[in-house]
This record gives sequence, structure tokens and C-alpha cells, in this order.
Amino acid sequence: MRAFFWFVLTAVHLFAVDASLTIETDVEQRARVAVLDASDTESRKVFRLFLSDLTVSGHFLADDTYRRDVSLGGIRDASLKGKEYLVVYRYTQTNGAKLDVKLLKASDGTELFAKRYGVAQRAKMPFLVHKAVYDINKVLRFPDISWINRYVLVARYTAPRKTDIAVADYTFSYRKSVIRGGLNLFPKWADKAQHAFYYTSYNSGVPTLYKLDLYTGRRVRIVSSEGMLVCSDVSDDGTRLLLTMAPSGQPDIYELNVRTGAKRRLTRFGGIDVGAKYAEGERSIVFVSNRLGYPNIYKKRIGSSAVSQVVYRGRNNNACDAFDTKVVYASRESRAVFGNNTFNIYLTSTDDPTTRPLTTTGSNQFPRFSTDGNVVMYIKQRGGASSVGYVNLQSGRTLLFPFDGHKLQSIDW
Amino acid sequence: MIHKGYGWMVAIAVAAMINGCGQPAPDGKVTPNNVYDSGGVGKDTVNIDESRYTNGQNGGMSAYNSSADGFQSLYFGFDSYAIGASMQQAIAKNAQVAREYGNRPIRVEGNCDEFGTDEYNYALGLKRAKAVKEALTVEGIDPARIRLISYGESNPACTDQTDACYAQNRRVDLRLIR
Repeated sequence: MRAFFWFVLTAVHLFAVDASLTIETDVEQRARVAVLDASDTESRKVFRLFLSDLTVSGHFLADDTYRRDVSLGGIRDASLKGKEYLVVYRYTQTNGAKLDVKLLKASDGTELFAKRYGVAQRAKMPFLVHKAVYDINKVLRFPDISWINRYVLVARYTAPRKTDIAVADYTFSYRKSVIRGGLNLFPKWADKAQHAFYYTSYNSGVPTLYKLDLYTGRRVRIVSSEGMLVCSDVSDDGTRLLLTMAPSGQPDIYELNVRTGAKRRLTRFGGIDVGAKYAEGERSIVFVSNRLGYPNIYKKRIGSSAVSQVVYRGRNNNACDAFDTKVVYASRESRAVFGNNTFNIYLTSTDDPTTRPLTTTGSNQFPRFSTDGNVVMYIKQRGGASSVGYVNLQSGRTLLFPFDGHKLQSIDW
Repeated sequence: MIHKGYGWMVAIAVAAMINGCGQPAPDGKVTPNNVYDSGGVGKDTVNIDESRYTNGQNGGMSAYNSSADGFQSLYFGFDSYAIGASMQQAIAKNAQVAREYGNRPIRVEGNCDEFGTDEYNYALGLKRAKAVKEALTVEGIDPARIRLISYGESNPACTDQTDACYAQNRRVDLRLIR
């Protein structure tokens, strides 16, 4: 039943592109591909993962018809006429999860690529599909999509003052708790390899930032601050952190050098400054501030005192992310103070105030750039259901993957 | 005609065993470097249980969200951390309770409704707690006795989806630190 629910929701949302999006890539530039299941028993979950990976890459026009029992002869099937490529897979679950994958030229059956993927934990099967699509994309010389192989870190509320921090694949098909119980907030990847992450623990009574190695369990205390403490960004080389701290009860943005322990205060405002992200080659920060009386997005060059406004629309823009000069932010747009609120995600730039809506319906929050800045992840809540969404900024493709209804606290990719 | 059989799968496995590691060639030809690839997804991650950190052990905080030890919660407007005239009576009462406890330390906890997003909400809760601390200081309470903490939207007193319920969550609670 759960699988059916997953399928229906995915199918409903699969091509739910928000109407206002600009489709930058012509449909004909995408490779027409069909996915064929050659497993001993039907593995539709694997099929759906292939379909979503190929679609969200922005480089493939994937046929959503499920076909099985097809091997090399399948290319003579009339329904496959017009396809450029065939992806044939065989999934087995003996001694872990194994996935055999072939990429064929549809016109003459030429084998372009074949590889076997395996992992000891069956639950990690989604990562095998992601790696296979990553490889297929690479073989066909499309732009890099290595972000589909990455873990997502997510903190969810499970009860008042209780959270669970989990790692997941980008579709949330795989999810594993890494810290449960207590109040642990704002997980943030500490390194590019995703071996460790920072998070804020409230369990000692004073908010304390820890770094946890995901594989050894080694935990290192970084810093504590009365009131609140959040690691909102990590420099590319992992040596500097942007923190929101309040050593005297006043939330401001600080930069911490984790090698030397040196800390410098980057903002000095009597209101609220939070959520700083490195931008413009880490020469600037983009952050949320209420310095004009409502939450909005601002920019500050590190080392300079001048602060400039980045966003000139909306009256409640309270979360953002940055990638070089690109900025995505969440804007609350419903007029009612309470009830079903509308939040939408917009794309703008630190050097150009033009904004472009990435979502248009429901409550869309927690925007996060992929590591290459070409895809934006966000959380959509609509009608009591939650989904993680992805917008490919180059192709305009949008995908949504449903997950259970616990309220999200924070997310990192 | 659709063929069954998996001879090609066996061929791949054999090729993998014979030829070891390598990168697939992007030239459209089948090459002997098709490998068994589990890099990056094989290791298992840790799983840490912190359930021992219960509310009762965490500084003596109660399981629910009202103030304790005779203190009175204070309620704020939407997206506001201003102390209004209507809150002065509660501030004065809390100052009186604080005086009765001598020099014992007090925790002032800021909370929010669910309508902000992540980090901003924690800062808003903190500004509310700071505003209450400053109001108590004006009433003569030593600021060194007061510890601030923000729970953002993590600590709702009420979870119904009504305006009255949301208003209960935009609050500051006070309690003794034990």
C-alpha cells in the first residue's frame, strides 16, 4: 500500500512543472530514452528511480512506460521506435543489492556502456541507480550531475523539543537516522566528501556546535553560545564556518576559523541577522535581516561595513541560499497572518535584481543549491503532504518526491 | 519478438572479474573495463541514540511549555519581539517572583509559532527572550541571574491549527535553573 501511495504521488508530481517556469532547454536537445527491466522479478521501484534520475538531470526525455522481459531484442519493439537510447537493468537482492546496467543505442542495439553496481546494504539500492545514471550521463558527455550521488542531511521534529537527524538520498527513498532523541538542530555538511557534519545540540542546556564523523561516530565540540547557535555555511575548503551566535543575547553573524579558533563578528545590528551564506567566491555573505522592519535578503562584503539589499520584492523573505552570484530565497506571500500559508521560492542574483519564480503553488521553503549551483532543492507542503522538490535551473524540469509528514527543522545537501 | 535470458549479464560479471578497475570509455564502444562498482555507497553510517536527554533531565524543564516555579508566560504579536503595555503586569509579577527566589538563576525561553522558517524563527524567539530579560532588569532583577535560550518553533504549547493556538506559541516562558 505504501509503495502504491509512493508511486501515485510520484506519478502525479513527476511532471508538475510550475507554470511560470521558463524552459531554457529545447525539448529536442534532450536524449529520448526508454528504461527496460530485465530483472527476474518486477522491480518497479528501481524503474521509477531510473525515471526520476534521468528526468531531473535535465538531459533526458525518459519514457515513463514500464517495460520488462526485454533484452537486446527489445529494440525491435514498435513502441520503442523513436528512442535514441535504451537503458536495460537487472536488479538482484542476493548478498546485498546488485544492479547490472546496459546502455544501448536504440537504432541498432550497439552497446555503449555496461557496468555492474553492488552494495552490501539493500536499503542503499537507490544510490546504485543514481550512480548508474551519473555514469550514463557521463558516457553521453552531458554536463556533470554528480549531485545526484550526494547524501541529504535532514533534521525533523518528532515531538516538542525532540528531533531526529537522518541521512537520505536525494529522492528520500533511502533514509537512515544518525542521531535520534534529544534536541539536535541545523545539520550542515562539514566537507565536500560528506564524511562529517556540524550540528547544534541543546542537550547540555546551552546551544553547542559539534562536528560528528558519520562513519566513526567521533564527535568534537566546536563552540557554545547562550541563546542560539547555528552553523549556516562552511567554506569550500572546510576551514571557515559562518555562524549565527548570540553571546550577549543578540543574534549576529560570525566567521570562525576552525584551524585557529579565531572568531570575527561580521554583522553588528540591533535586530536580527541570521542565515549567512558565502557568495561571490566567498568574498561576500548573503544573509537574512530585519533591518528594514521585516525579514529580507541582504549582502555584505566580508571586511566591509556596507550592507546592500539584494531583494526588492515581498515583505517576508526569511530564508536564502547562495551559489557564487546566484541567490535563492523563500518568500511568504499569503495575506492572512495564519492558516494555509503560501511560500514560494525565487531565484535572483547579487549583481542583478531580476527575480524569477521557481515555484508558484503551496508552501515551498528551505531552498538549497546543489554543489554545482544548477539545481535547487526545496521542501513543499501542500494539503497536509510533504515532498522534497528539485528544480533544474538549466532545463526547468521539476520533480517532487513525497516523504512522511514530520515537520522539517532544517535540511542540507 | 522480445527475448528472455541474461547471458549478457553473465558476460558483464565475467568481464568485471577479469579486468579489474577502470573508467568507462565515452567512445560508444564496449570496452573491457566495466567494473563492479560499490565505491562511495558501501560504508555504513553511525546511529546515535540521545533519548537519555529527556525534558526532565534537561535543566529541570517540564514536559510542557508553560512557565514554572510561579512565573507567568508572556505572549507576543506576530513577528514581534516588542514588550507591549499589556505585558507590564506580567513583567512586574515575574520580577516579584524572581526577587522571592533570592539570587537563584532563571532561564528565559523564547518560542515562536510555526510560520517562520528555520533559523529566523530561532532568532525571533531569542529576541523575545532578550526583551523579557531587559524588562526584568529594568524592574531591578540582576541580569547576571538570567540565562537566555531560544527554542524557535520546536516547543509548541499548542498544536491545533487555530489562531488562538498559534498565539499561545508566540511566547516566553520562565523557570528556575535547577
